[in-house]
Amino acid sequence: MTITESPVVPAPRGSHRLTTAKAMVEAIELEMERDPSVFYLGEDVGPYGGIFSSTTGLQEKFGASRVIDTPISETAFIGLAIGAAVEGMRPIAELMFADFMGVCLDQIYNHMAKIHFESGGNVKVPMVLTTAVGGGYSDAAQHSQCLWGTLAHLPGMKVVVPSNPHDAKGLMISAIRDDNPVVYMFHKGVMGLPWMAKNPRSTDDVPDGSYTVPIGEAKVVRTGSDVTVVTLSLSVHHALDAAESLAGHGLDVEVIDLRSLVPLDRETILGSVAKTGRLVVVDEDYQSFGLSGEVVATVTDIDPGMLRAPVARVANPDVPLPYSRSLEYAVLPRQDRIEAAVHRVARE
Amino acid sequence: MTDITFPALSKESPAAEGVVATWFVADGETVQADQLLAEVQVDKVAAEVPAPRAGVVHLLIAEEATVTQGTPIARID
Repeated sequence: MTITESPVVPAPRGSHRLTTAKAMVEAIELEMERDPSVFYLGEDVGPYGGIFSSTTGLQEKFGASRVIDTPISETAFIGLAIGAAVEGMRPIAELMFADFMGVCLDQIYNHMAKIHFESGGNVKVPMVLTTAVGGGYSDAAQHSQCLWGTLAHLPGMKVVVPSNPHDAKGLMISAIRDDNPVVYMFHKGVMGLPWMAKNPRSTDDVPDGSYTVPIGEAKVVRTGSDVTVVTLSLSVHHALDAAESLAGHGLDVEVIDLRSLVPLDRETILGSVAKTGRLVVVDEDYQSFGLSGEVVATVTDIDPGMLRAPVARVANPDVPLPYSRSLEYAVLPRQDRIEAAVHRVARE
Repeated sequence: MTDITFPALSKESPAAEGVVATWFVADGETVQADQLLAEVQVDKVAAEVPAPRAGVVHLLIAEEATVTQGTPIARID
């Protein structure tokens, strides 16, 4: 078996169409029904249903003691979740925007991520930290960052980043059941929210009932022979749009959706680059010191000779996200920049 | 035959217009009672439209079209 094969065992079952947000809610609902130790807490997660619809209807169903609206004190409620997890519960704490991690980072990387290590593996922290990421809707420098490279850099946390309804549901169930702290980062642009820019790839068929998507397995979402594009989250959608357009120019692009950053599925990256010899990394996070460099090093650490051309990175060029739509689109890794990069790498 | 109308999301202005944001079913599909048919929105308020009964659904309004609240958006035969 190769790691790129579909991780979901195809069972005879029905499916139904959902947005990514509704798929995420369905996963939390299934796990809360199954396991009384699962509960959700965060800002505006109760009657409001999460500002990006991550918890719609959950408080109505499970009550205010299992879906808890918290005051605006991330240090307090993430600390509360860590304590509950240490005592054997399975909390899901929502940090409204990843951009806000600064006010509670001590709880995240000094406590949530290190308790297991510091206790010699005797104390587990089976919690999920959910957080909204990403830009593209003029929310400016403090509400548009991805920052997954930062959390993936700090040891002790698994980090998952679904791009579509199917993976959002399966990765959420895996994250809740995992005995390690898992950071679950959902891009606002993949949630299928009615008030965001229409994104057809954010609504899709989702299998009925419970299933898991293994943490640490990437997926080849489009096979191709000329150039490998390694990416994640909303950029997967842009990369697929670019690949469809490039097919008209005779370029056969393979697209890998990483789905998890920690653990990183290096085998799938290497397998694809061994085939194509050409690599483009698309990352909405800042370019320097982050994910895009890690993906390139994954290849060069093993065998730089695999590469038939210099790699290209399409990322945020190390600037805060601008408010102005035209400036924001200029720094985001959108379809035009991805296509240009693929052309550049294919020509070499 | 059952008409499904755009829900009244704005109580203050009954003539408010809204958008059929997403259809979760296809025209002619057989649906179950309570199955999610659509998500609609007025301004930034969104609501789900479930099937009132089982049957074959016919979509009367295109996705992303704007209509007045109360307008029939689908029919179940």
